[in-house]
Amino acid sequence: MRLRPAEWQLVLPLALAYAAFFLVPLLLLVAVSAYADEKITTPGFAMWRKFLGDPFTWKVIFDTVKLGVYTVAATVLVGYPLALVYLGAGPRAQRVILFVVILPLLTSVVVRTFAWIVILGREGVINQTVLWLGLAPAPLRLLQTEHGLVIALTQIEMPLLLLPLLSVMSRMDPSLRDASAALGASRWRTLFRVTLPLSLPGLVAGCMLVFASSTTAFISQFVIGGNRLVYLPLLIWQQSLVVYNWPLASAAALTLLVSVGAGVAAIAALGRRSRAYAI
Amino acid sequence: MTHARFTRRHVLAGAAATLGSLALGRSAHAKGSVTAAMYPGTWEEAYRAHVAPALKKAHDIDLEMTPLFAVDQIAKVQAARGAPPFDAFVLDPGPRVTGIERALFEKFDARRLPNLGRLPAGMADDWGITVAAQVVGIGYNPKKLPRPKGYPDLLKEPWVSRLGMTGFQTTFGTVSIIEIAKQFGGSETNVEPFFVEIKKVLSKVAAIGAPASMPALFQQGQCDITYTNTQTVATLRGRGVDIEFVKPESGAVAFFTTMHIARGSKEHDNLYKYFDTVISAPVQAALMQPPNNFIPVNRDVKLASDLPMASLDEMAKFVRHDWAKINPLRAGWIERFNKEVSK
Repeated sequence: MRLRPAEWQLVLPLALAYAAFFLVPLLLLVAVSAYADEKITTPGFAMWRKFLGDPFTWKVIFDTVKLGVYTVAATVLVGYPLALVYLGAGPRAQRVILFVVILPLLTSVVVRTFAWIVILGREGVINQTVLWLGLAPAPLRLLQTEHGLVIALTQIEMPLLLLPLLSVMSRMDPSLRDASAALGASRWRTLFRVTLPLSLPGLVAGCMLVFASSTTAFISQFVIGGNRLVYLPLLIWQQSLVVYNWPLASAAALTLLVSVGAGVAAIAALGRRSRAYAI
Repeated sequence: MTHARFTRRHVLAGAAATLGSLALGRSAHAKGSVTAAMYPGTWEEAYRAHVAPALKKAHDIDLEMTPLFAVDQIAKVQAARGAPPFDAFVLDPGPRVTGIERALFEKFDARRLPNLGRLPAGMADDWGITVAAQVVGIGYNPKKLPRPKGYPDLLKEPWVSRLGMTGFQTTFGTVSIIEIAKQFGGSETNVEPFFVEIKKVLSKVAAIGAPASMPALFQQGQCDITYTNTQTVATLRGRGVDIEFVKPESGAVAFFTTMHIARGSKEHDNLYKYFDTVISAPVQAALMQPPNNFIPVNRDVKLASDLPMASLDEMAKFVRHDWAKINPLRAGWIERFNKEVSK
């Protein structure tokens, strides 16, 4: 589409803001990472060599991406059935569901994260229930474990999956599902051949948001995971704010950007493939 | 429906109004006010309650605070390159040394502080003024654990399986790990023995957490013993948490919190008045009271009975560290800690 001059002028403020507050800092990040010393005086790629040459870095990259994949899987498992309930509900129930979905966004992520310490802790709600039911002889270790972190992130990131998903689902034509049923398709067949393919754009968008947000969720990762679970955002924080090695921090930040970008691209590609398969 | 037409004049007028309001905000700040970086939480609340009213009353100066941890202050001023986002730093010894090395402070003239004579000797230098002391030792829950004697106990049963640890990101974490290392043959510059010993018991340690989450982890019973400072112990006790402070056999660690003028600040006169108000006896006495629990540096203030010393002079016997030696090693220690403790 060819934009008329008046239209490109409208885009200009946002484009300039993007250039000033995203593109320029990003270029600065690339430039700073190309210095070999902490004081940013000698150009060179020593920091990149140090960072990528360390097998521990690769373990951290792998763990960060794995955390994103687990969180996406868990949010989809829990969130998609809720979206189906939303699809079948009346307008009033839909409003209630939407409100419940948005509710966590009204609280700061810091508060939600600290609330999970109370829930997952040794004397927390889950452990008290487990002990009361006699399911375990001693409190389970949930805090500072990967599964504890995934549980917390599933709740924290859930609105990011559900909002695009519900938005797509609410525009879905109900007569298509009725037609599928009238043509003799079972409920499961209708779900997999009609509802799921039609909701894919929302599902894919939600998964991309959850993946990007959970892999970069420094506060939740550090507060719930502690020092036992090391992810890329923790390395960036340590290098930039504790030891002031900005070239190394920049290298780590760019690595995170590339890792998250690759993950998001993979989800988008998967979405495209499955849509083609569904059709 | 008609569309509002944006002319170039409209846009310019809007931009001018925005910039104008920003400039007005800046000039309001410039007269009779200082912007001080402040540790978030207890410090910020206590300074808002006691220092800000005292400064306003004595000198008609408004105190604006920017809540930032020490490391964040250094990073922000360094990134600002000569146009600091605040006028005064509040720092622990490690970031203080970094600030001096990276020339982030204005030269300090302690003679401009009328209350300087009320502080013990050596509390001011060419870079800043000491405003509070911190004493680090062991905090434990006496209802769940026997009283530990010293740092080596932290790595033994029954304490180790209830131990909450932090790494080298904070001052209290760094000095505590150095002290543990010393008990096993290490030194201020050699924490290798700590890594050897911790590896043997790592799977038993109850929590290795973010420094900011440690009080919450203790409060929730995730851990029942940790290395910490007297202020955190007193604050938690004030919230009804069962916690006692233990001065380890090898000695408690003391370090000082200092304030500095950010390089490029134009508020020198007001800043000296701010620093002087902070170290004045009435303010120091108020800061010592619960729920603030600061350790004062003014000799005229009688120390609270629950502090591990009767007078400020006793602190000379406490363990001290040379951060000029520690800082260059810290990056390596943090890296090592990540590798040793991560799963």
